[in-house]
Amino acid sequence: MSEIQFINTYPADKYYTYDERIALLRARKINQTEEKAKNGGANEDDYGLIEQDVYKFELQPNHENGSIYGYRAWSENYSRLIHNHPLYCDPIDAFVGKGFLFMERLRPKQCKWNPDYPYDDLKEVFAKYDIISGIDNCHHFTPDLQIGFDLGWGGILDLLKSEREKHDDSHHEFYDAEIMVVTEIIGFLNRISDELEKLSKLEKNKQLSENLSEMSRINRNVAAGRPQTFREAIQWLCWFSMLSRTYNRGSAGGQLDEMLRPYYERDIKAGILTDDEAVFYMACLFLQDSRYFQLGGPDEKGKDMTSRVSYLALEAADKINIACNLTIRVHDAMDENFFIKSVEYLFKNKQGWPRYSSDNALVEGFMKCGYSMELARRRVAAGCHWMCIPGMEYTMNDTVKINLLRTFEVAYEEMMSGSEPSVTRLFEIYKKHLKIAVDATGRGIMHHLRYQTKSQPELILNLFQHGLIKKGVNITDGGANYYNMCMDGSGLAVAADSFAALEQRIEREGKLTYAELDAHIRANYEDYDGEYIRQLMLHSQRYGGGNSLGDEWAEKIKDVYTEYVRDLCREYPGINFIPGFFSWSNTILLGKSVGATPNGRKRGQPINHGANPCSGFRPDGAVTSMCNSIARVQPGYGNTAPVQLEIDPGIANDEEGIRKMAAMIKTIMNTGNTLLNINIIDTDKILEAHRDPLKYPDLVVRVTGFTAYFAMLSPDFRQLVVDRVTSVNPRQLNQKNFDIEKEK
Amino acid sequence: MQHLITDIQRFSLNDGPGIRTTVFFKGCNMRCAWCHNPETLSPSPDLMFYPSKCISCGKCFTACSVGAHILENGLHIIDRKLCKKCGKCTEICYAEALVMSGREMTVDEILFEVCQDKAYYDASGGGVTLSGGEVLCHTDFAAKLARACHEEGIRVAVETNLSLPYDHIRPLLSEVDLIMADLKLYDEEEHKKHTGLSNKNTIENILSIRDIPMIIRTPLIDGITATKENLRAIAGLLEGKENLIYYQLLNFNPLGASKYESLDAANSFSNLMPYNEEEMSAFGEMLSDINIRVKVGE
Repeated sequence: MSEIQFINTYPADKYYTYDERIALLRARKINQTEEKAKNGGANEDDYGLIEQDVYKFELQPNHENGSIYGYRAWSENYSRLIHNHPLYCDPIDAFVGKGFLFMERLRPKQCKWNPDYPYDDLKEVFAKYDIISGIDNCHHFTPDLQIGFDLGWGGILDLLKSEREKHDDSHHEFYDAEIMVVTEIIGFLNRISDELEKLSKLEKNKQLSENLSEMSRINRNVAAGRPQTFREAIQWLCWFSMLSRTYNRGSAGGQLDEMLRPYYERDIKAGILTDDEAVFYMACLFLQDSRYFQLGGPDEKGKDMTSRVSYLALEAADKINIACNLTIRVHDAMDENFFIKSVEYLFKNKQGWPRYSSDNALVEGFMKCGYSMELARRRVAAGCHWMCIPGMEYTMNDTVKINLLRTFEVAYEEMMSGSEPSVTRLFEIYKKHLKIAVDATGRGIMHHLRYQTKSQPELILNLFQHGLIKKGVNITDGGANYYNMCMDGSGLAVAADSFAALEQRIEREGKLTYAELDAHIRANYEDYDGEYIRQLMLHSQRYGGGNSLGDEWAEKIKDVYTEYVRDLCREYPGINFIPGFFSWSNTILLGKSVGATPNGRKRGQPINHGANPCSGFRPDGAVTSMCNSIARVQPGYGNTAPVQLEIDPGIANDEEGIRKMAAMIKTIMNTGNTLLNINIIDTDKILEAHRDPLKYPDLVVRVTGFTAYFAMLSPDFRQLVVDRVTSVNPRQLNQKNFDIEKEK
Repeated sequence: MQHLITDIQRFSLNDGPGIRTTVFFKGCNMRCAWCHNPETLSPSPDLMFYPSKCISCGKCFTACSVGAHILENGLHIIDRKLCKKCGKCTEICYAEALVMSGREMTVDEILFEVCQDKAYYDASGGGVTLSGGEVLCHTDFAAKLARACHEEGIRVAVETNLSLPYDHIRPLLSEVDLIMADLKLYDEEEHKKHTGLSNKNTIENILSIRDIPMIIRTPLIDGITATKENLRAIAGLLEGKENLIYYQLLNFNPLGASKYESLDAANSFSNLMPYNEEEMSAFGEMLSDINIRVKVGE
């Protein structure tokens, strides 16, 4: 049985320093990760979830299909779940707040959307173009946790109750559900406080017993009240993480340094906090959950927000050194020392943190949607590839994917069934189908907005939206201030490379005919001369090559895709649709449905990652060329087409190397790119870990936007990461492959 | 005007300060046995063959007019004596198992590629590095290219052996912002023995060029250049040189091994391993009492 409480597991007479406590906590985390990996792992974020077999929870459905729908079922089930949720407690930790499960995932897989609100007509289009519609997907917008700090759970409950009195019956279902949930949360936190007090009496180590007693006091304070100290504020964040995750895997953190700065400054002034303690507390926060936080960046007026807390947060992440989703916002008035420090940690720890976002590109883009510069600057990094104004927006970020490659395949087949094939004609047909796909996706988003409350109301994140409680509606029913709906294209590089390969090899060079190529494609390049022709197409001018045909086609696709997505804003006034390019971890899934393609890709192979070019885009794998190409395909409306970059640590092993990398990162961010998800990966180590994942249970990689333990990933996903690493480090790899071959 | 270029490497981090693009010229006047860029030695195109990329399509057998591609005991080999280096086989080898090293390029074509990363040079203090082969064997073209780079606001460095008389190299050096010069061996006879050339011009140039910042480098080759006597003699030579940025001890670079194989060329250093960190530091220590800045590694 997995343990969830660790009372009297440490020697009774030992006194632990903060560093020793962090080391012990980290070691336990690595063990837990190893266990998770042995149990099958998962192709996603770690979330700080604890795998255990102590607590089992079963939903009480309110529908014959076994699922739960609407305010009442979600609030009742959640309240019951929390009511019985056991306490995970490690007395060496500064906080409690570990969770075990996501309630939304307990629903039957095929019954997430309420069947009383069908969209069968759209399903056909979604299937045809392999669209992930986002219908029923939850959270993926950012709460403003400052609301929680300002009101506390008790204040939120009071507000809910007073507002209920002001609203008519039509809002009571909303208020009753929220009141039930918050009441239960306060009760739960008080119970936790009681349990901690009991455990403190059982713990024989004096230091740890006192720690448990202090935790009990802190939890009592934050059960209903507003957090008053730095430690209480972080304990509040830990519980928010656990409570929102447990409900529906709820979303990201926000601007951590600014949220904690007032508490830090007050406590330091009062002499009740030291920097060492602050670092320890934040290290424990990062251990508790791999939630996204932004550090640094400009305030609304453009003034840099980097503070002492920003530095300490980096130090804390360095000490715990696990999967930390920290983003540094690069801007013109940036604290240069802080930036350099962050690059040093990036290369020192090689754990995929921090990553970097570009204030200039993001602000300029978001303002094109009609928002003020002040609002644009408040849009913080909050997810794998996305930004959000905390407490102001509903976004469906990263939940909607249009398979640009499947759309290409539909167009290609239509062209080949007619006469006189050409890339000009193909692009016309492609545009027609892309328009259909985008329009259907837009209708899907509107359907989701209209009926999501009947499926899955956002009972936790609703509470941290500005003005929502006063409106008395779920966030999808008008509760948000802004609706900025994310719509990502996936598979851009493969589609662009396919157009380029056709134009170059058939039309410009006359190496073969459309009919000849088509026969090979239908045979999956496995017919006579198939592999030879595949190599011909594969080595055409690719996207990422730099001013190549592939780059030109990628830009053309970007332009029409952006235009079609933006067209939806006129069709649905009040709703802002924002285009981006990202696949998340759907690269394998979205490739499966597509046959062989003209760029030499074989049937079922994955699509490219996000906005990145396909592996082998240039013989020298030049990072600069790749980043320039990605900069050219930014849709430019405030959402991202991220650069996913894998760098060998050997290139920054001294001060000069760090300076070069800092300049590289800054230039990537200043040349039109929006977000840099970066891994520092030793090619040897990743290849070895791919062969034997459990050899490196602590190896963390940034898989897409999120970081994850490499050992937790499936072989397919590990292969994708390995492919990306070798794609931009081909010279070293050529030698390594050569050495391996020689050894054989 | 076109010139034979081996390769253009963007995002180059080990060929001078900052982020750079390195332009590799083709043709070198030295024959250092440990060279890690053997494909740059000859001043004419070379055929390189990477069997691991070969898909056994057999197209090269029919494309070759002299029968240089042979199947021997089931292995695809190239008869180098027959091969005319015409490149016909590479034109139809889409798997890129057969490639020609060296292509004719104009200054404008190179400049276009180089300018793609200007933002990176500006942010990092980088620029373009003209390398080889030996760039001084190509002074006219290299000088034109360097001038064109300067007109675009791009700084230019050269990686060179400085083995030609000063008068010959002056037109190029007047367009250069940084010289990274290799002095492999202090002893002239030893230098001749291992590189095929005297070091007389190299040493004279190192001492006489005073108006361009210089980095002097020695590749550490076990038993040849990596001796205390050699390194101390070179370091001693550099004492008091005002335009010296630092003296750099370069670790042996084994990355040329696959290229030797692809050229069917003998690699007498195939078993040599790079020094480890500790060993590299020890070389630096040998020079600690000499009053120059020493950089160890890369």
